[in-house]
Amino acid sequence: MSVEATDPALAATGTQEAPARRVNRSLAGRIVFCAVVAMLCLLPFVMVLVISFGEKIEGAGWVFGFDLTNYRRFFVGADWPNSTSFLYLQKLGWSLNYAVIASVLAVVTAFPFTYFLTRLSRRAQTFWLVFLLSSLSLSEVFIVMGWDILLSARSGLPMVMQETGLTDWLKDVGFFPTLRDWGLASPRNVKFKTSVLATVLTMSYLVWPYAVILLYPALSRLDPALIEAARTMGARPWTVIRTVVIPSVKLALVGSVLLLFVFLLGTYVAVTVFAAPAQQTLAVSIYESVRGSTLNAPFGAAQSVILLVTAVVLLAIGQKLSTAGGRA
Amino acid sequence: MSTSSTSSNISRRTLLKTSAGAATLAAAGTLGAPLIAQERSLKIGSYGGYFENSLKEHVYPKFTEATGIAVESVTQPNSSDWLVTMQQAASAGNVPADLSLFARDTMIKASRVGDLLKPLDTKAIPNLKYLDDYYAFTDTSGTLGVGAMSWFSAMVINPDEVQTPTSWADFWDTETFESSLGISKLYNSHFMDIIAATFFDGAATFETKDGVEAIIAKAAELKPNVALWWSAESQMEQSMKNLDVVGGMYYLDVANLMAADGFPIKAVFPKEGNPQDYGSWCLSDLSEKTGEAAEFINFSCEPSTQKLMSLMIGTAPLVSQEAAGLTDEEFAAVSGSPVIRPAYSAYLDQETFLKESWDKMLAGA
Repeated sequence: MSVEATDPALAATGTQEAPARRVNRSLAGRIVFCAVVAMLCLLPFVMVLVISFGEKIEGAGWVFGFDLTNYRRFFVGADWPNSTSFLYLQKLGWSLNYAVIASVLAVVTAFPFTYFLTRLSRRAQTFWLVFLLSSLSLSEVFIVMGWDILLSARSGLPMVMQETGLTDWLKDVGFFPTLRDWGLASPRNVKFKTSVLATVLTMSYLVWPYAVILLYPALSRLDPALIEAARTMGARPWTVIRTVVIPSVKLALVGSVLLLFVFLLGTYVAVTVFAAPAQQTLAVSIYESVRGSTLNAPFGAAQSVILLVTAVVLLAIGQKLSTAGGRA
Repeated sequence: MSTSSTSSNISRRTLLKTSAGAATLAAAGTLGAPLIAQERSLKIGSYGGYFENSLKEHVYPKFTEATGIAVESVTQPNSSDWLVTMQQAASAGNVPADLSLFARDTMIKASRVGDLLKPLDTKAIPNLKYLDDYYAFTDTSGTLGVGAMSWFSAMVINPDEVQTPTSWADFWDTETFESSLGISKLYNSHFMDIIAATFFDGAATFETKDGVEAIIAKAAELKPNVALWWSAESQMEQSMKNLDVVGGMYYLDVANLMAADGFPIKAVFPKEGNPQDYGSWCLSDLSEKTGEAAEFINFSCEPSTQKLMSLMIGTAPLVSQEAAGLTDEEFAAVSGSPVIRPAYSAYLDQETFLKESWDKMLAGA
């Protein structure tokens, strides 16, 4: 760098050569940047991909190889062709199921909250946003522990329902058997552990602050004049929300759902605590394969690759749908 | 196995003592090392929590006193997870621990993976004579592991709610146990061994595919009675305390500790018995502490050490009750009979088939 300043010849021609140099330097910078990104993002993924073709040795570990059995096992089970099993597809189904329901639930409930938040005073808005941002520092483990206590038979909601007579009332009005059919009651009392309800609630709680933070910019940029105009023309509040507010923040809504969906695909702690084994997700199965007693990292890697591909495909579809809807 | 969760009570009780001890250890570690560079030392891994704390507090100091070898305790999450760590460390040329504690199936797995464990110098372990040959695991390279301590998974019930069953088969009675049992979710928790011992021909049933399928089918019949498929022992502990479950399978030592604390739980030895598993001391292949390791294992095999561990950690001794000098009451708290020996070879040779069949049963897929 100092060469330019000290060399009079270069300094003289500097005006002509400087742009070329700048291009060179920015090119070098870009290459370094790309290399760092590739190292940090691509390399781990390539490792997972390579391991997913590895070969499992029964009763021992695994070796590198080129073996497609891990992928075949995902779709038809290890015992194929003697028998066919859709065990892992079922787990993938649960992964998608929880992630879709929980992300939609989070965005749908965060939307009115954020809408009213943007109508508050600047001070109140700052308070709420700081509060929500700081709640993000709670780890998944803490949140799951809290919900665990809230939903436990002796310390949480079931106890409250029993003590207040709500459980007996449910039994009296004959709604109790329906709850049992839904898996939300044991013979003795209502139960939320294990249940799909508890899993989905905890998962959406987990991403709820993100939903607010993602929706906030779009909703706070919304011009109040639009709403006032609609109101002046005689539209009821609900009509205003439906025809003015929602269409103008539609992209933010869809974007938030997609982001939270991808985030929730990997949820582990909430699922292991709140979901019955029959309703557990691919994330749990991946962990069991890699760190569990079978030491089957290749199968864990194959499951990860499939989960990733599914997420990418669904994101692409979601993106297509939302932009197509935007143009219409 | 680990006894971390119930141990919270014990840890609280001994908190002051432990932290004082830890402070002394830390001081010895930082100050002692540079001053006496010649001092012999050994890094020993064990399952974290109550288990590791008890070893640090009661067993290692006795060893250091007897031999002058300082012990540095290393926390292992469990057997199989630790094996992954060991593998990664070995390829990087590190020794996370000289001696590690491995359950039998993980130890055999390590032996098959190869280049992870170093054969032990059995000549330097005369106390091996106190142990049954079964507890010294030998492969073609030599003796890779020597038994450290053993533990039972037992039938447990809530004595206030149900009558004591005489057989594991009683759990299949839906009249009594509908949606009331807590059973381990893991395929290798030895519940399959219990089914094989109760309804079939024991370990021999695992030899054929039909046998395994019959065991799994029998497990599927129990599903309406299982309220909790637990993966962490704290789940089972909470559920027993909460009355979410009134019976199931759980670790014998932890159940007895809970009962001693006044919780309504009773460990039972039904007529088929309970499965017994054990941990072995294994030496890392890259370790240069063969001599120190042999001295420690020799110390660990001593009947007095086995007794010490039974009393302080709650593990079952690998020597007889008479040799260890335990009273009937002390012995009953950690051990019993009959014993169900797990079909280890099946869990290794057919692991993919066993795990997937078990998971299919759980998932109803």
